[in-house]
Amino acid sequence: MGRYIVKRLLLLIPILLGVSAIIFALKTVTPGDPARQILGNDATEEQVQAKRDELGLNDPVIVQYFRYIAGVCHGDFGESYRTGEPVLEELVPRLATSAKITLGAVAIGAILGVLLGVISALKKYTWVDSLVLVVSMFFQSVPEFVVGLVLIMIFAVNLHWLPASGIETWKGYILPMLTIGVSSIANYTRITRSSMLEVLGEDYIRTARAKGQTESKIVMRHAMRNTMIPVAQSIGTHLGNALGGGMVLETVFSVPGVGKYIVDAITARNYPSVLGGALMIAIILVVINLIVDISFVVIDPRLKTTIIAGGAKKPKKAKAA
Amino acid sequence: MSENILSIKDLVVHYETDEEVVEAVNNISLEIGKGEILGLVGETGAGKTTTALSIMGLLPAKVGHVVQGSIKLEGEDLLQKSAKAMRDVRGKKISMIFQDPMTALNPVKTVGDQISEVILLHEKCSKAEALRKAQEMLAKVGIVPERYKDYPHQFSGGMKQRIVIAIALACEPELLIADEPTTALDVTIQAQILDMMRKLQKERGTSMILITHDLGVVAEMCDHCAVMYGGEIVEYGTVEQIFDNPKHPYTKALYRSIPSLDQDVERLHVIPGMVSDPSNLPSYCTFCDRCEEKNSHCAEHDPWIVDVEPGHWAKCFQYTPEWEGGK
Ligand SMILES: Nc1ncnc2c1ncn2[C@@H]1O[C@H](COP(=O)(O)OP(=O)(O)O)[C@@H](O)[C@H]1O
Ligand code: SF4
Ligand SMILES: [Mg+2]
Repeated sequence: MGRYIVKRLLLLIPILLGVSAIIFALKTVTPGDPARQILGNDATEEQVQAKRDELGLNDPVIVQYFRYIAGVCHGDFGESYRTGEPVLEELVPRLATSAKITLGAVAIGAILGVLLGVISALKKYTWVDSLVLVVSMFFQSVPEFVVGLVLIMIFAVNLHWLPASGIETWKGYILPMLTIGVSSIANYTRITRSSMLEVLGEDYIRTARAKGQTESKIVMRHAMRNTMIPVAQSIGTHLGNALGGGMVLETVFSVPGVGKYIVDAITARNYPSVLGGALMIAIILVVINLIVDISFVVIDPRLKTTIIAGGAKKPKKAKAA
Repeated sequence: MSENILSIKDLVVHYETDEEVVEAVNNISLEIGKGEILGLVGETGAGKTTTALSIMGLLPAKVGHVVQGSIKLEGEDLLQKSAKAMRDVRGKKISMIFQDPMTALNPVKTVGDQISEVILLHEKCSKAEALRKAQEMLAKVGIVPERYKDYPHQFSGGMKQRIVIAIALACEPELLIADEPTTALDVTIQAQILDMMRKLQKERGTSMILITHDLGVVAEMCDHCAVMYGGEIVEYGTVEQIFDNPKHPYTKALYRSIPSLDQDVERLHVIPGMVSDPSNLPSYCTFCDRCEEKNSHCAEHDPWIVDVEPGHWAKCFQYTPEWEGGK
C-alpha cells in the first residue's frame, strides 16, 4: 500500500511540469504586458523596462520556466504581481474556503442523489421513478450559474433568508453549496439507480432471499454496499469537477476561493497567481483521486489485492452463464 | 419410504413477459420421501430450476407465476403461505444451493458473516454464538474455521461451493434443493463436493432434490429419478428402474449420450433436433419432433402417464393399448 501511494504521488511530477508548461506557453502568446499592467498607463517606457528586468520577464521563456520550477521545488510559488505577497500564503486560506464549498456541494449532491436513486430503483417503472428522473434531469440540464442566480433570486432577494454574496457568516456557504450540489444530483441518481438494479439482479441477492432474509435488509445489508462501488468512483470525478465548476460560481457569489483568485489573476495578467492556483488545484485533484482509490479498498475488499499488487483496477466481474 | 416430505401436485408455472408466455412447467406431480434423494434430470430449459424456485417461493417477481397446483411440505401448502411465513421456511426448512458458486456469495461480506446471517435469522442466539456455529459449519464442509474472516474472492470455486453448502445446511433444513451444484466446477472437484454432500445428507437424514443434467451423478447419488423434458416429467422411477429399464424414448436417448470409458467417444449419441421451445409447445407429445420411436398417434394427442411397473411410470403412448392401432 505504501509503495502504491508513493507511486501515485510520483505521478504528480509530470502532471505539474505539464500544467506549468501550458500556462507558460499561454503567457507568451497572450497579448498585454504584466509590467505595464502593474505600473499603470502613466508609467514611462523606462520604468516598464526596469520592472520587466526585475520580474525576469526579459529572459527567454525556457529560463523563466526552469527558474519557476526550481522555486516550486523549494515551496516558493513566487509573489503576486498585484500585492507582492507570496502566492502560497494568499492561496492557503482561499483553498480552505473552496474546499468547504466543494465538499459541502458534493455531500449534498451525493446524499440526495443516492437517496433518490435507491428510491427509484426500488420503485422502478412507477410514477415515483419517472418523477425522480424528470426532476433530477431538470437540475442537470440547467447550467450551474443559472441555478445559482435563480437561488439568489429566491433565497436572497425575495425571502432574505440567505446573503446573496460573500461568506461573512456560515449562511454564505449555503447557496454556493446548493447550486453546485443540486446540479449533480441527476448524475448520482442515475448511477445509483442502475447500479442498485444491477446488484438486485445478482445471484448473491437470490442467495440472501433463499436464507429467508427480508427485502429491506437485503437492500440495506447486501445491496447497498455493492451499489456504492460505482457511486464512490463518481464521487472522485465529481470532487474534481466541483472544484473546477466552483471557479465560475465563486465569481457569481463573490466567494473568496481559489476559483475567484485565479479568475481575478487572469484578468490582471498576474501570472504567478494563475500558475500557483492552477498547480495547487492539480495537486489537490491528484491527492483526491488517491484518497478515493484508497477508500474503495474499504468498500470493496476485492480491490485490496489489486491495489497492493500495484495497479488500481476495477474488479472483474466473474459472470458465468 | 412411507412418509413424504414434499409433494407437488399438478404444478403449472408460466413466465409472462411483454413478448411471450413461457410455459416452463406443465402439470407436474412429484413426491419426495423423507431422507431420500430425488434426482431431477433433463437438458437445459427443461424447467428444473423453475420447479425448484417454485418450491422456494422465489420465482422472479412479476414475471414468474404459479398458474395452478399445490406444493405441500409435510402437508402444508407452501403456495398458500404468506410472504412472511415463506421467509421462515426458506433457509430453515428448505434450503437451496444454486448452480454458480462464483456469483452466489456477496463479494463485500466475509464468509463468516454470510453463514452466520442465516443462523441469526432462524435461531435465537447471539452474534458470537452464530459466528461460532458458522465456524463449525466451515469445518464440516472441510474449510479451516479460522478462514471465517476471509472474503469470497479469497477462495477457489470449489471452496466457494463448500461455503454455499455450509450456508444451506447451517440451520439443518429438512429439504435441500441442489440446482446443478457441481456443473460449474472441475471434474475432480465435482466428485469431492458430491461426496461431501452425500456424507452430510446421510449424517442428518436430510431429504434432497438433486438437479442435474448428468445421469452419472444421479446413479452415484440418488434413490429416485425424475426425467424432465419440455416442462413435464416424462419418466419417474427408482434409480435402478430408470437405469436398468428405461422406458421413455427421451430417457433412452439420454443414456446413449453419456460418454463411457469403454466406448469410442466419436460414436457418442447426440439427441437429434432442438430442445422444445416452451414459449411454443405443441398440443401433442412434446418430444415428438425428436422422437425416434413415434407413430401416428404421437403427432395428434398428448400422451398420458402410464405405469410400466410398480413405482415406475412414463408419459409415452408406447405403453398404452392405443399404440397398437397407429403406425
Ligand atoms: N425469468 C424468466 N423469464 C422468462 N423465461 C424464463 C425465465 N427463467 C426461465 N425461463 C424459461 O423457462 C424455461 C425453463 O427454464 P429453467 O427452469 O431455468 O430450465 P432448466 O433449469 O431446466 O435449465 C426456459 O425456456 C427458460 O428460457
Ligand atoms: S408419445 Fe410418441 S413421440 Fe412421444 S415419446 Fe412416446 S413414442 Fe415418442
Ligand atoms: Mg437450471
